[in-house]
Amino acid sequence: MTDATVEASNLSKSFGDKQVLQDMSFGVSPGDVIGVLGKNGAGKTTLLELMLGFTPPSAGAVRVFGHDSYSLPGSIKSRVGFVPQQDELLDQLTVADQLRVIASFYPRWDSSLITRLCGEWGVDTNARIKSMSVGERQKLSILLAFGHKPELLILDEPVASLDPIARRQFLEQLLTISADGERSIVFSSHIVSDIERLANRIWILKDGKLDWQGDLDALKESIVRLHIRGLKPELAPFKILGLLNLRRDGAFATAVVRDWTPEAQEALEKSASVQIEVETLGLEEIFVELHR
Amino acid sequence: MFILNPQSGVPIYRQILEQVRRMVASGQLPPGTALPSVRDLALRHTINPMTISRAYSILETEGLLERHRGRPMTVASQSRNHTQLPKRLEQMGPLVEQTVVAAKQLHLSEAELVKAVRREWEQNDD
Repeated sequence: MTDATVEASNLSKSFGDKQVLQDMSFGVSPGDVIGVLGKNGAGKTTLLELMLGFTPPSAGAVRVFGHDSYSLPGSIKSRVGFVPQQDELLDQLTVADQLRVIASFYPRWDSSLITRLCGEWGVDTNARIKSMSVGERQKLSILLAFGHKPELLILDEPVASLDPIARRQFLEQLLTISADGERSIVFSSHIVSDIERLANRIWILKDGKLDWQGDLDALKESIVRLHIRGLKPELAPFKILGLLNLRRDGAFATAVVRDWTPEAQEALEKSASVQIEVETLGLEEIFVELHR
Repeated sequence: MFILNPQSGVPIYRQILEQVRRMVASGQLPPGTALPSVRDLALRHTINPMTISRAYSILETEGLLERHRGRPMTVASQSRNHTQLPKRLEQMGPLVEQTVVAAKQLHLSEAELVKAVRREWEQNDD
């Protein structure tokens, strides 16, 4: 038995001949807020669905609260909450009815929390779901995943249709959930600035693999852009460890590197007798540079 | 209390480290001043709490902040001792380096840069 909320080892998934995820190993600990980044089709949804046990892995395993995710007992399932990319609301119901239906599955349902959030988020409980906008439906699916106070909350692009104010309210609620340090959140989003606020850890999916996983702070410290001056022509080609992209223009060069450290800077400045200015990068820039 | 920019390439814990160090060194945060709790800061700025507790822990290790049970962290009473001249100078390092690099790009001489710094210094005094 283990304390990890989620533990995956050598997880792979193929659909027919198409390999979507390849040999992923990762963990989620209590208190973690993990931001999942990847281009469209990078396999983010498949990864989340494997954790939820919607589909079995082709190889490897993912365990949620110590149980194989594809055969989770009901008692474990009730500790997990999920906001799907495409909502699964019942059009013919009113908001209040839909809330009642979901609440009936969960003995731990916190109806006072949901009533309060409906008020704060401007969700009209009398509205018929059929007549609601995409953004309103998204708010409601988020509320449906919050009500039973899951210890693991998985969200797949939960905010794509929310306006900035609604998104901020949503982020604040997620922070309140995570602030006790006992619950875990895994969420995918293309809104990088939200991930930058909320996440302490980042998974970057690329070509079916976890291209980067670790602390957001460490990511920002290790992937940087170097502005290099004083290159000598005879030193071509110019070698840097962990080089992602290089643009060279005579004595000047711009290089994006991973695994950067102050020691690496010193070593490089000495060995190539160049001056280096380090530019730190925001998460969006880092993401783009990893995909060049 | 803090100016925090989550979109910056500088991690948030570093932004907090630098601002606390600077404010303590300059006396803007005198010994005994209580700092906002991790939870308050996280909710006020809508940022992950772990990056804040990380900054606080580092500052505690450095002896700049003191942790108390059930009360907010405070600026350490002997923190003045930890901010002797070399340490304070060290904090200026990156800024000085940037300034010098820019001056060289502009083909300014050392004397011209020093003069400009002195002028700014004097203007800032009144």
